[in-house]
Amino acid sequence: MRVAFSLILLAIVGVGVVLSLSSIPFGSPPMDAGKYYIDSGRTDTGATNIVTSVVVGYRAFDTLGEVTVLFVAAIGLGAILTTGKKNESKKKEELEPASLVLSTGCRFLFPLILLFGAYVFIHGHLTPGGGFQGGAVIASAFLMVYLGCRKKRIRKSWARGTESISGLVFVVTGLTGLAVAGHYFLSNFLPEGTLNSLFSAGIIPIIYIAIGLKVGSELTGVIDNLIEESE
Amino acid sequence: MSFLQSNIYYVGAFGLILTGLLIVLVKHNLIKVIIGLSILDTGVNMFIIAIGYLRNGTAPIFSSPEVESVLMVDPVPQALVLTAIVIGVAVLALALSLSIRLYRHFGTLDLRKIKELKW
Amino acid sequence: MVNPVLLIAVPLGLAFTVPLIGSASRKLTRFVPVIASLFNLILCIRLFPAVLEHPIVINLGGFAPPFGINLFVGHLGLLFAGLISLAGLIVSIYSLSYIKTGMVVKYHMLYMLLLTGATGVVLTGDIFNLFVFFEILCISSYALVAYVGDRAGIESSIKYLIQGTVGSSLLLIGIGFLYGLFGTLNMADIAQKISTVEQGSLLVPLLLIVAGLGVEAAVFPLNAWLPDAHSSAPSSISAILSGIAIEVGLYAIARIVFTVFGISDVYLFLAFLGILTLLIGELCAFAQSNIKRMLAYSSIGQIGLILFALALASNNSVTGGLFQLINHTLSKGLLFLSAGYMIYRSGSMEISSLNGMGKRMPLTSLAFTVGAFSLIGLPPFAGFPGKFLIVSGALLQGQLVINILVGLVLLSTVIEGTYFFKVVQGLYFRKADADITPERAPAAALVAMLILMLLIVVLGVYPEPVAGFLNTAASDLLDKVSYVGSVLR
Repeated sequence: MRVAFSLILLAIVGVGVVLSLSSIPFGSPPMDAGKYYIDSGRTDTGATNIVTSVVVGYRAFDTLGEVTVLFVAAIGLGAILTTGKKNESKKKEELEPASLVLSTGCRFLFPLILLFGAYVFIHGHLTPGGGFQGGAVIASAFLMVYLGCRKKRIRKSWARGTESISGLVFVVTGLTGLAVAGHYFLSNFLPEGTLNSLFSAGIIPIIYIAIGLKVGSELTGVIDNLIEESE
Repeated sequence: MSFLQSNIYYVGAFGLILTGLLIVLVKHNLIKVIIGLSILDTGVNMFIIAIGYLRNGTAPIFSSPEVESVLMVDPVPQALVLTAIVIGVAVLALALSLSIRLYRHFGTLDLRKIKELKW
Repeated sequence: MVNPVLLIAVPLGLAFTVPLIGSASRKLTRFVPVIASLFNLILCIRLFPAVLEHPIVINLGGFAPPFGINLFVGHLGLLFAGLISLAGLIVSIYSLSYIKTGMVVKYHMLYMLLLTGATGVVLTGDIFNLFVFFEILCISSYALVAYVGDRAGIESSIKYLIQGTVGSSLLLIGIGFLYGLFGTLNMADIAQKISTVEQGSLLVPLLLIVAGLGVEAAVFPLNAWLPDAHSSAPSSISAILSGIAIEVGLYAIARIVFTVFGISDVYLFLAFLGILTLLIGELCAFAQSNIKRMLAYSSIGQIGLILFALALASNNSVTGGLFQLINHTLSKGLLFLSAGYMIYRSGSMEISSLNGMGKRMPLTSLAFTVGAFSLIGLPPFAGFPGKFLIVSGALLQGQLVINILVGLVLLSTVIEGTYFFKVVQGLYFRKADADITPERAPAAALVAMLILMLLIVVLGVYPEPVAGFLNTAASDLLDKVSYVGSVLR
């Protein structure tokens, strides 16, 4: 009964969507805003990766909102998972210790993956990538250590502190733009430098480094919360 | 057939969206419903990226000063999808933590049995 | 002139610093939401004279619209921002003493972020930015509904989350369609270009966006999550959800339907939907025996009434709708806050357990009574001008269909009166089961309830200045041409 009703509903939705898609031909979008960003992205923001100049330059306010969404989810997860913990007294099963190859390999690969993640978010304005991607790679490095070397844990206070301070860096950078140059929130007040070099594009590397650290520490905190749950 | 060939990305994206919606509406295991939400998110992101595609366009990155800016795909949908993926991950994390607590309270993940609140 | 961006940036910055403050002293974190909401309220009052002359348009990052994101602080936006900060301030004063158990630091962070998300939704002028701040609002409310951590809370939170996420995905598909049709994400730009495409292809994006926002705004048939969520959340969060979150969802629908789309064929459909929501909400509330579920269904009803008033699209009816919206925030907030402590003292959420509270908690019962009478629409309280404006504005239109709908509005008012009188009668005229020792609610809660009572009475006795301001806010919503002109000068 429920299946039949859902199928009919989805069929109606599908037909409506197909009829409406005929007015958006595939492969030729009306690039009003897109054309402007491609043409003036380099001169306005100084970044050669135009997607970065859109994300952190033209639509930086959206990125601030996105960082906040991740923050809310991490806090919500912490609040939901740790309220019921007190009255659980489970037997601690001894986890089988990891084999020598696994634990050595994890410890060897961990700084390499961290380095790669840092590379991705530091060069966000030159190559594909950016803060969120780099932060996710960093969190995956920590996940590997959690799963491979079993007993190691990060210090919670460091993760929490990094998260808060990076978020503050983002907001303070925006407010500095408000106070200092051009009186616009999140405006580019540092010199733009030469294209295609590391120290270019004004505040974009600073924001992306802050986002990378924030996302990395946040996702690591989430993984830490979930792993503690399973013990 | 040529409709399918020229709009294959739209068809794929909406196939994922409809699959995700079907799973959320019909299945009663909570983990399957959460997977359905994830499939729905993926479908929506694919749809938005497909809208920004320009025929024979390349990635919008000026890796060297001589790159022509004529045939680059629209960078805006990529920026939108970046945000949408992060939001999807955030909701997924919250949903999974709620399902952990739910399992601890009720002992089951079957949504038909978790109906304590009557109308 | 102060920059309105601070309305969003400062609470956000304070929310990021709360973990640092919390590691130093947990007791101090209770005051951070109070400070943030007070700052917002003072900022709104300071921006008021400037906005009265001309709406403020702020270009974020220095890029002019339509290529950058802009904030549009018009009459309607400032009204909502002021309402959010006022309600946020009062409920945060209430929470000083109400929230004692659980992860208190995280509660206050989530609370401030909920208010930030709501403020962002009402002030933005870009449709994807609206989606992002809408998500901040929704996700904080999913986490806050589950805050208590009992069986009911977790169950209602997961159901709310699933329905809310499906709604957000539909909203995103609609936004994708709009981008594919017009190539821009700025609301004023889309409003300008809306007539350049054939009207048939606009139907699907409009339906998707209204359905997506309608889950949060709790219009029928998408409101199945509301009774569970609002009754299982802590009472301060129920007050904020009923008073702010669903109304911000309704604002988003109104902004998109009126300002961006402006297709008047849809309005009658929305009016019918509003009346349907109103009737279902009030009839279900009548049959409840749990006080918080009753108040939650009453919220559904009120949202239906406000949707009906907004959908009539005349200056008078929209003014009435906005007045009723303010009244709902204040009265429903007062009802939930007073019910919160009455439930805490009596230990159960059944209406029968509230009998005799008139003697046990006199001020709290008075607050509940004032809120109930104001919501019904009795004269010296703020509900009366609101309902009067809605009914008179609707009747002025003179169509037979609308007159029938107005009759249904009056019928639902009678139903509302019946179940609220039942509770108030129980408060004062029935004997309690246990013995009666007068105990008051703590001082912070009493202060919060007193401020709300005062505001309701003042608004009811002197509605003219507020109604005048709401009239200009109504034209802010309905007048598409001046909106486009202010932004894309």
